[in-house]
Amino acid sequence: MRGSRSKALHDRALVNCQYSMATFSTGERKRRPHGDRKSSEMTLHLKQTFEAAILTQLYPRSQIDIYVQILQADGGNYCACVNAATLAVIDAGIPMQDYVCASSAGFVEDTALADLNYVEEAAGGPQVALALLPKSDQIALLEMNARLHEDHLECVLDAATAACRAVHAVLDQVVRDHVREVATLLGE
Amino acid sequence: MAAGFKTVEPLEYYRRFLKENCRPDGRELGEFRATTVNIGSITTADGSALVKLGNTTVICGIKAEFAAPPVDATNKGYIVPDVDLPPLCSARFRPGPPGEEAQAVSQFIADVIENSQIIMKEDLCIVNGKLAWVLYCDIICLDYDGNILDACTFALLAALNNVQLPAVAINEETGLAEVNLKQKTPLNIRKYPVATSFAIFDDTLLIVDPTAEEEDLATGTVTIVTDEEGRLCSVHKPGGSPLTGAKLQDCITRAITRHKEVKQLMDKI
Repeated sequence: MRGSRSKALHDRALVNCQYSMATFSTGERKRRPHGDRKSSEMTLHLKQTFEAAILTQLYPRSQIDIYVQILQADGGNYCACVNAATLAVIDAGIPMQDYVCASSAGFVEDTALADLNYVEEAAGGPQVALALLPKSDQIALLEMNARLHEDHLECVLDAATAACRAVHAVLDQVVRDHVREVATLLGE
Repeated sequence: MAAGFKTVEPLEYYRRFLKENCRPDGRELGEFRATTVNIGSITTADGSALVKLGNTTVICGIKAEFAAPPVDATNKGYIVPDVDLPPLCSARFRPGPPGEEAQAVSQFIADVIENSQIIMKEDLCIVNGKLAWVLYCDIICLDYDGNILDACTFALLAALNNVQLPAVAINEETGLAEVNLKQKTPLNIRKYPVATSFAIFDDTLLIVDPTAEEEDLATGTVTIVTDEEGRLCSVHKPGGSPLTGAKLQDCITRAITRHKEVKQLMDKI
């Protein structure tokens, strides 16, 4: 554990995240890659998401650092970060309850859209970010901004959930292929 | 057994290999790791390149902005390089303000740009005394496994080569700049500087393209930057064990051969 030891938790691991965006990742050049209000919010969200999924009680008095770097932003930054971080945590061999899969969803002209790109996000409609633990069907994080009628919430959530499940299928396939490959190499 | 020996006596482990003129990763002493380059992968940047030297991975993105030219040189633009070694690239870097190494690499890149005249700053001027381009060249290391200087220099060169600047016209009536995004021109690259780094082992042996492990065990490093005509742009030897003139000549010869290899890669993309 580095830095101040006073932050160490005696019964579980501390999850530490840092979200940063490359200066060239957005249309307008970013002045500060991290530490601004939006990045700090994102950092906090990532931390909360992974605290919910990682079995932190297995590593008391330790720290798990998760660093994510956005190289090109085209909407769904939070979701891409969660999906990438999940794979990285799995690669690090840190036990989790389940994969964390994330997807955004929006609502435009009575239709729910999954995985918004930058243009759709910038249009300013309602937007939902959902992080799901697909096996147990639990929601790790759900955030919605802008107004949305209660009646529409369900269909937007359904779209996001379906997208999360699709992401889960892809991630799971990648992990299985990787493990198979590594196992064959080790077996030789 | 070998793994245990390596952990206990890393230096002796390396010496055994070097005695046989090879390295633990199977390379010869004068051999570079596999180099790959990918350009234009980031569409939000005006120019970008991803360079891999073995495991070392760096990405360079270039953003162009307007600014008023400096007062003392009204016909010039700016090139602002910055190298970031974030904690995600290696366990040796911690979050927070840029560390010593990141600043040293940034300064080295700035010096290479200045000394090699890779692009003339006059080319970046749009209207004398009024408007000029600023090129922000941000280099981020994604995986740190030694020889960061060569990787950064190559990434910068490949990204600059990829830059497309829109045409700018000044509206006579309003005096404001109008950007024509449909008409884009590449930068005029005057020189192609390529860096070649060496690690000095036991004060005598020179090995090219050191990995992070080799850099840690080495007693010194040398970096040589040459352009396409074999002229020196920079010789960088930050302390470490002393080196004879003859050895330095060997380095320069190797650097010139390396330039040809890199040029071939550049021509292919």
